[in-house]
Amino acid sequence: MNHALLLDGVSKSYSGHAAVSDLSLAVPQGTIYGILGPNGAGKSTTLRMVMNIILRDTGTISLLGADPERDRSVLRRVGFLPEERGLYRKMKVLDVIVFFAQLKGMQAADARREGERWIERMGLGDWRVSKVETLSKGMQQKVQFITTVLHSPDLLILDEPQSGLDPVNQEVLRDTILDWKRQGRTVVFSTHNMEAAEQLCEHVCIIAEGRKVLDGRLRDIRRANMASAYLVEFEEHSDAADRLLRAGAFGHAEPHGDGWRIDLNPGTDPRALLREANALDVPLIRFEREQPSLHDIFVSRVGGAAATPHRRPEASHV
Amino acid sequence: MSEWMIVLKREFRERVYSKGFLISTLLFPLFMAAVMILPAVLGAGAGGQRTLVVVDEAPAGVGDYVVSALGRPPKADDEGAYTYKVERVPGPFAAARARLNERVLSEEIDGYVHLPPDLLQASAVDYRARNLSSFRVERDIGRAVSQATQAARLRQEGLDLTEVSTLLRPVEVNGAKITERGEEAGSAQASFFLGYILGFLIYLLVFFYGVNVMRSVLEEKTNRIAEVIVSSMKASHLMFGKILGVGAVALLQVGIWTLLGVITRTQSGGIAGMMGLPPDALSSFSVSPWLVAAAIAFFLLGFFLYAALFAAMGAAVNSEQEAQQWQTLVFIPLIVPMLFLGPITNEPLGTTAMVLGLVPFSAPVTMPMRMAAATVPTWQILVSLAGIAVTVLVTAWLAGKIYRVGILSTGTKPSLRELGRWLRAA
Repeated sequence: MNHALLLDGVSKSYSGHAAVSDLSLAVPQGTIYGILGPNGAGKSTTLRMVMNIILRDTGTISLLGADPERDRSVLRRVGFLPEERGLYRKMKVLDVIVFFAQLKGMQAADARREGERWIERMGLGDWRVSKVETLSKGMQQKVQFITTVLHSPDLLILDEPQSGLDPVNQEVLRDTILDWKRQGRTVVFSTHNMEAAEQLCEHVCIIAEGRKVLDGRLRDIRRANMASAYLVEFEEHSDAADRLLRAGAFGHAEPHGDGWRIDLNPGTDPRALLREANALDVPLIRFEREQPSLHDIFVSRVGGAAATPHRRPEASHV
Repeated sequence: MSEWMIVLKREFRERVYSKGFLISTLLFPLFMAAVMILPAVLGAGAGGQRTLVVVDEAPAGVGDYVVSALGRPPKADDEGAYTYKVERVPGPFAAARARLNERVLSEEIDGYVHLPPDLLQASAVDYRARNLSSFRVERDIGRAVSQATQAARLRQEGLDLTEVSTLLRPVEVNGAKITERGEEAGSAQASFFLGYILGFLIYLLVFFYGVNVMRSVLEEKTNRIAEVIVSSMKASHLMFGKILGVGAVALLQVGIWTLLGVITRTQSGGIAGMMGLPPDALSSFSVSPWLVAAAIAFFLLGFFLYAALFAAMGAAVNSEQEAQQWQTLVFIPLIVPMLFLGPITNEPLGTTAMVLGLVPFSAPVTMPMRMAAATVPTWQILVSLAGIAVTVLVTAWLAGKIYRVGILSTGTKPSLRELGRWLRAA
């Protein structure tokens, strides 16, 4: 088995409204996989179907090789952080952590020992026996994160893990996720923040209005969506350069920063442009193909309309 | 350890190690002891009217409580009771004291009570009077101030006063004299109150712990803890673990009370002796072990029945405000026996009592009331118990279905039609 998670043709509707339609995706083991999309795109619904919190209408799900609907025990090998966080407010921090770890099959003594270790690691040592309600929101998030990872799951599923975290804690979270991957484990997380995803993920799946827009290895997606635009810059201003580019022989050119952005005409060989630019009276200091951001790719694929948030459908197990 | 045991243990520990549990467990026996022992200690006094001044420096609300408690008219059949004319003056005490002493000496008033500012901490008030011969007056003052203080303290502890005060609501114990005409009148009265106490206690405990289950379900639902938990275990197991956990707490509390009762009963001579009372002073405290066992059985089954309903209700709604609208509806069948208190205790073998005793939803309160008042046929007890047990199973099964869907649903509150859909879908 080389996929931690496989979805095939998964759909879910709420009273006529399709929250997720015919979604298929494959999460290779040992990778960080991002499910991206605007609010209301169906990310949480997808993850909740994977966790068997809501039942799917159609399709198959293979979680660590098993269907979570039939074999619940596989869920013990998964750590799940729901989008809306919550803990028992009146319980003590360590007790909460031990409780959730026990539910995942850990022995109380092990859970206690590991819990202490994680509490130290997250800088919560002073709050070990404090009630959860006395902690700040950020600290509560850390506690909940510990409850998600304490039982060393093979797969981490995090729904919008960064929401509500300050930059420092986002950093802590990022390090933990990267550390997790280094140990050969898989992390799937959802986010509406494409930049954050670009920094972390190797694989992404972008969804909008419940449908997959594109998925695959981030590097491949970028390559496939390379624009035909080139960024050109010279060491100093040159009238010859202005004349050459404004003439439009290679494509439409417009000033871009200290240089130019040239949208090459179809069929134009960039090497011809390079040759001409290099032959000018000033040194060429930049010649690069423009890298599209995930956000650009997303907008170009689905248009601005789909990139805006949608109504959150009623969530229900039925 | 299986998952439902983990849930059970959590529910149990979180409740038993709480202040509320300690307070309610201790206060009830203290209260019962006060009700039973004090009359014996104090005996009947001469009665009459007393004029008292209350110097009120206590925190807000305490003085009002004391004045209104003392001003309450005594029961008509209470021969030794005093009535009080209470005048309330503000502090400071030092300034008012000399004048009050004069008024006492001039017989304008009988005495005065000083409620100090630190009453809640010090737990003591000063009572000055021309004479201290009447236990009854001191007891009445003590009771009024104690109730006022307890109420204020409970409020400080953040406990819902109405909830605690219903749980600890005073029960009147009426004695009856034995005359040549026979004991029937007296024993009927005694069994009336025994039935009343048992029925009311069961009603309150089922309500109290049922609401506890509901709050716990609602907490997990609104905090989305349920989502994490049901990704580790079956929702129905979560529900059963929770109900059993809260049930274990209730059983522990009732167990402690029963034990205290047994000690009081078996050692009644000794305890009475220690308090300088005649050996038979406490013998009125006499409940058959069989009745206690039956009452506990009816209570437990009743708790399971209503806890399942409350769990389903907690799962179906989205907030405590919403829950309150349904709470009463769910509880009506349990309130019915309280409305028929008279028919049940006066005619425990009559048709009303029998029907209410056989209907599973009203039986947990009705049956102990009947059994306290008369010898109920064994078959009726067994049929009633079996009926509740079967209903518990069916209710828990249905509640489990609603619960499973409900705890994971958010948004608007479900209509009855939607609830039906949940039942079919789960």
